[in-house]
Amino acid sequence: MSALPPQSPWPPSAGGPMADLPPSRAHPGRATNGTLFTDTAVRTDPAPPAAPASAPTADAPPKRAPVRDRYFDLLRAVALFRVVFYHLMGWSWLPVVFPSMGVMFALAGNLMARSLKRPATQVIRSRMRRLLPPLWLLGAIGVTGMVLQGWGPNSEGHPGWWWLHLTYWIVPLSDPPYADGLPGFHHILGEDWGAELAGPLWYIRAYLWYVLLSPFILKALRALPWSTILSPIALAAALEFGWVHIPSVRIDSAVTDFSTFGACWILGMAHQEGILKRLPRYVVPSLVPFVAALGLWYALTHGFKAGHDLDDIPFAQSLWSFATVLLLLHISPSWSEWPRPLRRFDRLITLLNSRAVTIYLWHNLCILIAATLWDRLWGFDALGEHYAWLLNSSWPVLVLVWMLIATCIVSFGWMEDVAAKRSPQVWPDGHQNKPAHKHR
Amino acid sequence: MASRTRRQGAAHGAPDGSPRRRLPMRLLLPMLLLVALVAMLMLRGYVHSEILADHRVQPEASTDKVPEKIIDGGPVIDTRSGRTTSLNVPDHRMVLTFDDGPDPTWTPKVLDVLKKHHAHAVFFVTGTMTSRYPGLVRRMVAEGHEVGLHTFNHPDLSYQSKKRIDWELSQSQLALAGAAGIRSSIFRPPYSSFADAMDNKSWPVTRYIGTKGYITVVNNTDSEDWRKPGVREIVRNATPKGGKGAIVLMHDSGGDRHQTVQALDTFLPRMQKQGYEFDNLTEALDAPSASTPVTGAELWKGKAWIFLVGASDGITGAMVVGLSVIGSLVIGRFVLMLVLSGAHARRVRRKDFSWGPPVTEPVTVLVPAYNEAKCIENTVRSLMASEHPVEVIVIDDGSGDGTARIVEAMGLPNVRVVRQLNAGKPAALNRGLANASHDIIVMMDGDTVFEPATVRELVQPFGDPRVGAVAGNAKVGNRDTLIGAWQHIEYVMGFNLDRRMYNLLRCMPTIPGAVGAFRRSALERVGGMSDDTLAEDTDITMAMHRDGWRVVYAEKARAWTEAPESVQQLWSQRYRWSYGTMQAIWKHRRAIVEKGPSGRFGRVGLPLVSLFMVLAPLLAPLIDIFLLYGVVFGPTEKTILAWLGVLMLQAVCAAYAFTLDRERLTPLISMPLQQILYRQLMYVVLLQSWITALTGGRLRWQKLRRSGQVATPGGVPTQRRRVAHEERESIR
Repeated sequence: MSALPPQSPWPPSAGGPMADLPPSRAHPGRATNGTLFTDTAVRTDPAPPAAPASAPTADAPPKRAPVRDRYFDLLRAVALFRVVFYHLMGWSWLPVVFPSMGVMFALAGNLMARSLKRPATQVIRSRMRRLLPPLWLLGAIGVTGMVLQGWGPNSEGHPGWWWLHLTYWIVPLSDPPYADGLPGFHHILGEDWGAELAGPLWYIRAYLWYVLLSPFILKALRALPWSTILSPIALAAALEFGWVHIPSVRIDSAVTDFSTFGACWILGMAHQEGILKRLPRYVVPSLVPFVAALGLWYALTHGFKAGHDLDDIPFAQSLWSFATVLLLLHISPSWSEWPRPLRRFDRLITLLNSRAVTIYLWHNLCILIAATLWDRLWGFDALGEHYAWLLNSSWPVLVLVWMLIATCIVSFGWMEDVAAKRSPQVWPDGHQNKPAHKHR
Repeated sequence: MASRTRRQGAAHGAPDGSPRRRLPMRLLLPMLLLVALVAMLMLRGYVHSEILADHRVQPEASTDKVPEKIIDGGPVIDTRSGRTTSLNVPDHRMVLTFDDGPDPTWTPKVLDVLKKHHAHAVFFVTGTMTSRYPGLVRRMVAEGHEVGLHTFNHPDLSYQSKKRIDWELSQSQLALAGAAGIRSSIFRPPYSSFADAMDNKSWPVTRYIGTKGYITVVNNTDSEDWRKPGVREIVRNATPKGGKGAIVLMHDSGGDRHQTVQALDTFLPRMQKQGYEFDNLTEALDAPSASTPVTGAELWKGKAWIFLVGASDGITGAMVVGLSVIGSLVIGRFVLMLVLSGAHARRVRRKDFSWGPPVTEPVTVLVPAYNEAKCIENTVRSLMASEHPVEVIVIDDGSGDGTARIVEAMGLPNVRVVRQLNAGKPAALNRGLANASHDIIVMMDGDTVFEPATVRELVQPFGDPRVGAVAGNAKVGNRDTLIGAWQHIEYVMGFNLDRRMYNLLRCMPTIPGAVGAFRRSALERVGGMSDDTLAEDTDITMAMHRDGWRVVYAEKARAWTEAPESVQQLWSQRYRWSYGTMQAIWKHRRAIVEKGPSGRFGRVGLPLVSLFMVLAPLLAPLIDIFLLYGVVFGPTEKTILAWLGVLMLQAVCAAYAFTLDRERLTPLISMPLQQILYRQLMYVVLLQSWITALTGGRLRWQKLRRSGQVATPGGVPTQRRRVAHEERESIR
């Protein structure tokens, strides 16, 4: 009865991608304006396709069509799928095969740099407006549930702190708080669901900080490109080797995450700024394997194993993600249309892209519920006796997880549209409004 | 038979990408060879305990689960089929046991001493040592000693799974069967001592081994000879109290055992005087022998194993020799190149240096072109800017893309176009030669661009009447990509180190097709270009040497050429170069026994070229095999340091070459990866050339294909044909 399927090993900083939320082709009629310029969609709603490219700056890459780069869409979808897969399976080599977090931050940084051609405050405001409402929805449901199970101002020290920290659910400048060690819920939701729920939120916090800092980063990037790109790695090294010590846990985790994935975010910006294109093409493939090897070597010599993977070795993570992202951006083929073999995944990838935040925010809860439900099958003795291998397997749970995620997309996904000031959609896979019609 | 099927296959595959069809074969043979070598290396590492060795030793554990009678009992523990008994050796009998052997140095000495004193003993041998020194085990058995198992590679069994224990036992029996044709039923666990040292960790192992039919033999008198405490101490430790029977632990392996041998020489006669008999175990216990002969399949499996281990030792030995040969060749070559290229650069850059009177007479530039529509205009225009008076002859080798018309449409006064049916580059060059008006002939490719000074610099060496041919300095134009940067490094080193060295040694093997100049009289003396080989440029250069002409390098005659951009193109280019070079060496092999300049080239140049271009690269993969082996199985750090050392040496040479050529050093950052990916590609190409040369199949096939092309009037030339033509030029 006890054999819980290996579910979400939660290294606190494991994570999810998300979501620069390119609105995608959710509204085929006017999607072109949205494209990667999600914010411009607000004011210039039925804008002509060329609108986003109207203000090319001097160092913008010469080839910049105002169409979605399907390559980036593919990367985002793969990253998102990998995150869910990894949080279910817990295989420590998965983040090595595809470092989703670095990829997601790079894609987001790329879009941010693109948006920053407009005034910074406006960009930041629209980014936050896009990001936060889905979080508030999660918080409204999640925090209510926690409070119903007895979480309250007196749960941790002074009530003042509780109330103060609660504001992080509104603006996650630091990790939103959650109730520790909650009991399960009617054999549907497993124990300690609060921690599972809040687990992925570090990404939102890190993302918010990157957005806030991006105007400054962009200035630095233009002045000293490579020093800026490498500075987060230097910071990661400083933290790793103890040259810098940060006493506060909350600040420490913020700085650590910033240093771990900062280089990826900045690489995304640099790609947009055309800085990477200025290098001779042989430079990146010549150096990347050695940076990656250094990262891997560091991980292997510092206790890399199941349950202690790249996420727990931030310095190794920063090197490995940097190298991978650099290579992926170097390859960057800029697809304005899908290559033939990928064409059939168009709707799936579009859906994953346009509901990235929702999927990311809710997936961990889905995993917990799916695993709890699957565990109930042990209650049937015949099953437990003859099909123990099946009950122990995580693959059926994976199917269950995606079914639950589909439910979340339908139930909570609309918030992303509301945040983007679009009319809410049920199933935005780019093919008109056929509700809840799955293509997978 | 083989060649016929091959030809048919090629005929079928020709229209649509036959290169792809051949891919498996040219990869398969080298891969098989590589896998076999690696397997042999692994086998050797395995029996030398470099692989799968486990040196952990279990700390002492509690003993509450070990039966009292075992702890208080004798050193011979019988747990077979549910028994739990132990035996002691009867009084005045002594069983000497030697662990961890056989050892090639000490075991024979131990055996000699035992023989001298007519004593029998028991050797608990490890499977690895048995596999490596089967002869010693045979001698033990022949001289009446008993052989027991001591696992295959000496792990602490309490850490191992049952599967691993089974495997340790069966693998040891296999080695024993192969070495001496017997099985043994006595076993001693590694790191064991007395029966009272049995604990909760080791007892289950002992019981398990009993179920496999073995008697476990520990000891009750430890000589502690492994501590090397001195002969007297060993003798004292090994002497049992009061005439009791004893099983004495000694070692014939694992270090310097001369104390053990000396101790035995005192100990044996002394104890024999006290009335002790030295028996092997079953003699001492009056039990039936512990060893049974092995026959049939088991015996042959054992023999095969022993043979394989012997072969792996031999092959690994040969590989190590090969590695040191290649290592010294590589390093020697680099040192030689550094010294000679430095000397060459100093000489030709001296202020007062000149080849002779300045050459100002007009020259003929031959541009053989096959479907060069894209590049030919740039090529011809670059020649028009020449500071030296030139007559340009473009020989259109049956192009289908209007190359000739493009040149004619340019309407340049001193440019002539000669057309011919597609007949290959050597024929095109010969036709151009026949049409040339001047006495100095410059040859270039249709996709190469000269600088204004190139022709002038290229022909200045003809001021020296002994010079028959001049090699220019070809540079890679498309060096932005990784594969381009790698070729750039290769070219800069090839021209600034190799060619300078060969210049001074007077055995330059190749005038690059992209930029070279010939004295017409010299070309005519050797009969012009020939299509005997796939590398007509190497062929003609060797012919020049044999005719007594000097072949020199003109560093300032720079030509910009386009290097292959795909692995496929690069592959076919290099295959042609390396196979063509082998053909040319073979064609000119008679030079070795000839007199005069031909003999000089044959005895100095040909061996050098063969060594560096054909033989050394064949051994070079050894570097990678040992690198990989060292990284995986250790010593990892030393291996990587050694590799970095060689890399540094190469980087120094490359940096020197780049400095000589006044090139930016940044492309050198792609060198480490080049060492990991690019070089290996070149080996496989070379290996493929060797296979072709040894089987002889491909050459015929190529000629067949070529005539087929010519016979197709108006047929669209295939990509393959184009590659075959165009990529032979360029540089070596």
